[in-house]
Amino acid sequence: MWEAFAPGMRRGIRLTSSVKRSLLLSFRLFLGAIFLYASIDKIIRPYHFAAAVEAYQLLPPFLVALTAAVLPWIEAVSAAALLVGWKPRSALLVLSALMVVFLAAIAVTMARGLDIDCGCGLLVERPVGWLALAEDGFLLLLLLGLLRALPEQSPATRIPLHS
Amino acid sequence: MLFQLSRRDCTWAFVLTLLGLILGLLVQWQLVLHGFQGTLDLQIAAVEKEEAARRLAALPTCSLEQALARHEEGRTLFIDAREPEEYRELHIQRALNLPASQVSARLVAAVLQGVSLAQPIIVYCGSVDCHASLRVAEFLKKQGYSQVAVYVGGFRAWDEAGYPVDIVR
Repeated sequence: MWEAFAPGMRRGIRLTSSVKRSLLLSFRLFLGAIFLYASIDKIIRPYHFAAAVEAYQLLPPFLVALTAAVLPWIEAVSAAALLVGWKPRSALLVLSALMVVFLAAIAVTMARGLDIDCGCGLLVERPVGWLALAEDGFLLLLLLGLLRALPEQSPATRIPLHS
Repeated sequence: MLFQLSRRDCTWAFVLTLLGLILGLLVQWQLVLHGFQGTLDLQIAAVEKEEAARRLAALPTCSLEQALARHEEGRTLFIDAREPEEYRELHIQRALNLPASQVSARLVAAVLQGVSLAQPIIVYCGSVDCHASLRVAEFLKKQGYSQVAVYVGGFRAWDEAGYPVDIVR
């Protein structure tokens, strides 16, 4: 039945290696640019980001300052590495870990009923809520999808994450 | 298997994290220092005040007396940028409520239905220290309202002066 609507869909569409490479490159550049852009706002306005982190009421002041100081730079370094294609799998791993932290913070804050700015960067203020959660969840899916699709740097000493 | 990560992937991920950490500490050491010294809140307030002053410089402003004169003249629309609960309690007479926390194109269209883009508007919030009026005034300017000004004294100064106020019943 599927053949009538979309030939080849049932068996899965085989992408040629050049199309696959172009797709992977596009996703890599897109995600690298998105995260670099998001980190820039936090880097150029560190105290504004510190206020956003503080509003989550999850960390003591010295950890708020430490987070506001280093987190955007970790994001920027990883995004830049992803953008230029230097250790992209490692960069995706770091960015995925950051997204998990962001998602957990947003979920906890929503559960506590706090109405605050999410401090997500991207130069637009958005409140903590389902939209921010969906946005970060979507980005995490893209990061993990790309991590799965990118060729490994070395076939040796693999660590399986999930069976 | 869903993912296969090599030891090399993990090691370089650690290196990237470390690099970001070192850069962050080097560039933002003053911020970290404020955190450890317990002066972070003071510093955030100072930076926010400085930023608000810079943003305010880009907008026309008016004093309490000028705001009263415009109010008595009757041609200017007053916008209260505070939260609805504060607005309901007491607000400048004939002012409309456009809370900064909820401001959007849809809300502006609903509240300012039929208001011309050339209409003189004065936006205010709670006191001289609040930034809600700034956010709403900037948003209105972006929406095309050409004669937007901020009354910097805020509602507190207006109320203390005994000028006309309204209550939502």
